[in-house]
Amino acid sequence: MLKIENLHVKVDGKEILKGLTLAIPTGEVHAVMGPNGSGKSTLANVLAGRPGYEITAGSVTFQGRDLLGLAPEERAREGVFLGFQYPVEIPGVNNVYLLKAAVNAARKHRGLEEVDAFEFLTLVREKMRLMRMEESMLSRGVNEGFSGGEKKRNEILQMLVLEPRLAILDETDSGLDIDALKIVAHGVNTLRSPERSLVLVTHYQRLLDYIVPDHVHVLVRGRIARSGDKSLALELERRGYDWVTGEAA
Amino acid sequence: MTEALCKRLLDEYAAVRDSLPADVVSPERRQEAIDALAARGLPVTRDENWRYTNLRPLERARFAPAAAAPARGASGTPPPLPSGLDLPAGLGGFARYTFVDGAYAPELSSPREQAGLTVRHLRQAPDGAAAQAHSAAVLRLPRALPASSGLPEARLALLNEAFATDTAAIHVSGAAAAPACVELVFVALAGADKGASYPRIEVSLDPASRLILVERHVGADAGASFVNCSVNVDVGRGAHLTHYRLQRAGARSTWLDTLSAALAADARYGLLAVSTGGLSARSTTHVQMAGAGAQLALSVAALGDRQQVQDHFALVEHIAPRTRTEQTFRGIASGRARVAFNGKIAVREAAAGTDSRQSLRGLLAGPEAEIDVRPQLEIYTDEVRCSHGATAGKLDEDMLFYLLSRGLSPEVAQRLLKWAFLEDVVAKIEIPELRRQIEHGLAGQMADAASLKELL
Ligand SMILES: Nc1ncnc2c1ncn2[C@@H]1O[C@H](COP(=O)(O)OP(=O)(O)OP(=O)(O)O)[C@@H](O)[C@H]1O
Ligand SMILES: [Mg+2]
Repeated sequence: MLKIENLHVKVDGKEILKGLTLAIPTGEVHAVMGPNGSGKSTLANVLAGRPGYEITAGSVTFQGRDLLGLAPEERAREGVFLGFQYPVEIPGVNNVYLLKAAVNAARKHRGLEEVDAFEFLTLVREKMRLMRMEESMLSRGVNEGFSGGEKKRNEILQMLVLEPRLAILDETDSGLDIDALKIVAHGVNTLRSPERSLVLVTHYQRLLDYIVPDHVHVLVRGRIARSGDKSLALELERRGYDWVTGEAA
Repeated sequence: MTEALCKRLLDEYAAVRDSLPADVVSPERRQEAIDALAARGLPVTRDENWRYTNLRPLERARFAPAAAAPARGASGTPPPLPSGLDLPAGLGGFARYTFVDGAYAPELSSPREQAGLTVRHLRQAPDGAAAQAHSAAVLRLPRALPASSGLPEARLALLNEAFATDTAAIHVSGAAAAPACVELVFVALAGADKGASYPRIEVSLDPASRLILVERHVGADAGASFVNCSVNVDVGRGAHLTHYRLQRAGARSTWLDTLSAALAADARYGLLAVSTGGLSARSTTHVQMAGAGAQLALSVAALGDRQQVQDHFALVEHIAPRTRTEQTFRGIASGRARVAFNGKIAVREAAAGTDSRQSLRGLLAGPEAEIDVRPQLEIYTDEVRCSHGATAGKLDEDMLFYLLSRGLSPEVAQRLLKWAFLEDVVAKIEIPELRRQIEHGLAGQMADAASLKELL
């Protein structure tokens, strides 16, 4: 599904990703952990096509295509979804309108007709129930006045409605209470399938109790310092990052 | 004003003076106005508060009114409107009065009797129930020039005073269960080379009365008219006026406008303007909070594209104690447009307890566009609450990326964000039918694509 090779990325002239190599096979869930400032969000943003990042070397292929050559909206329509670490508030742009526009953009890309308004609403309502979101949130501005946890749930709602092929969730678990964490994890799990890949950026092993990853990677200073299975997350929890950073240095 | 221009103004006035209707403005007042104008001069770009206006059209303008009587067919047939100029659909429950090039057009009007409401104009309705009341009526003329015509920014009202061809004079008396509803439509057809158009409105609300006034200015898409509009508003004690002003003049028109309002004690005035038309548009608004406890909500949305200039100047004077104003401006400049809002608030000595809030925001949506939002505050008393926010900037990059990351095209994403930006003003429109019309108009203005209309 996704192949990142020797990726070097600069932000404001400073190299943040320094030769990152990572492969996410189709149908797998990978967790990316790592200390603050190690470059996790940078990686997520580069994959989604956010401007302001200078890619100085390396390649990213998504389903055999050069991902870095696509505009952000093209990546989204091809099925790449980024769940933001800090979802922005957009007052005046209606939540449900954005959802519908997003769904239709992807459908148009695939040569499909616009979604039927009624079917669409039925689907959205169903997913909202799954995320335990109040229906009134639909008519509000995108994330407008949402609490931190509500914003994260809204990201997952969008993901559930858009059904991406590759979802990158950047610290979707941060700021969630215990119940919300379960709800979000359940939402994510409903999307797991042999055709879909997931990248979970997280600081907490706890999330991985609910969404069990196939692989865990530790990102340190712009490079994957260590990879392993689920037990790596547990070991990290026990021993802290010093254990890995020491090794990586 | 150059001497040559001044001389031409006086000559043009002298040439048409005798044909101007004395029952719209008396000859004495016309003379007084033209003299005052000649003495003070027309505004020039060097003048403070006129910097953003495109005043060049004034130098070329023909000041004499365009045909005072628009061509019309046999009785009952509407005068031909150019194709592409459809009058907006009427609003339910509203009496409509249409003026073409500053003269009443009964064929395009539908008066409707309402309790306490009198609407007068020069050319009376030819028949119908309202005709009786109208024909007996003589326009009530204020004896002196409006106080604000001495204001440097209100000078263009003098031009209207001197050349006006008709007035829509609206008077509401008595407290009614429901507000009176009036819609005025001003159509500018004549090209500037044929003469100017002088829309003119006088609104007076007796104590405790209520009125909803919708004022529209339209022109043919390609129209290149010269329009000089003057509005005088007098809101009596405890009276309630909701006033919508929709400026959609022809794309090549010069549209100049002066509104002066005075609010008595506990009066409430909601003034909401949406300006999208004209090549060069300038609105001057002067509101005097003359009675204690008066309240004003002034909301303006302005959209400029291509080479358009949208310039707004608003002066609100807090004169009496405990008056409140809330000002909202949202302007978007695209293409090479210039959009400006200069909002000046003066709190006079006796205006203790003034509460004034101002939120001015401009959006720069083109590399060659220009936007200027300027709050000005003059306070001559203690014990006031004033909060002011003024920002001008580009579309928020984070918002834009968020929308793109969901698959929306850059065009749609930008349009959505512009739309959202105007929402602070548009959401204040209380008549659903009107709001829909305005939203459709704005969507059409902002995009040819239907993508936004889906929203509505
Ligand atoms: N615009 C920028 N200018 C300069 N430095 C930047 C900029 N954006 C990011 N950085 C730096 O890049 C590094 C990586 O940031 P990034 O957000 O990717 O870290 P992260 O691993 O997601 O951290 P966290 O766990 O705190 O979310 C940080 O040191 C950060 O300060
Ligand atoms: Mg991060």
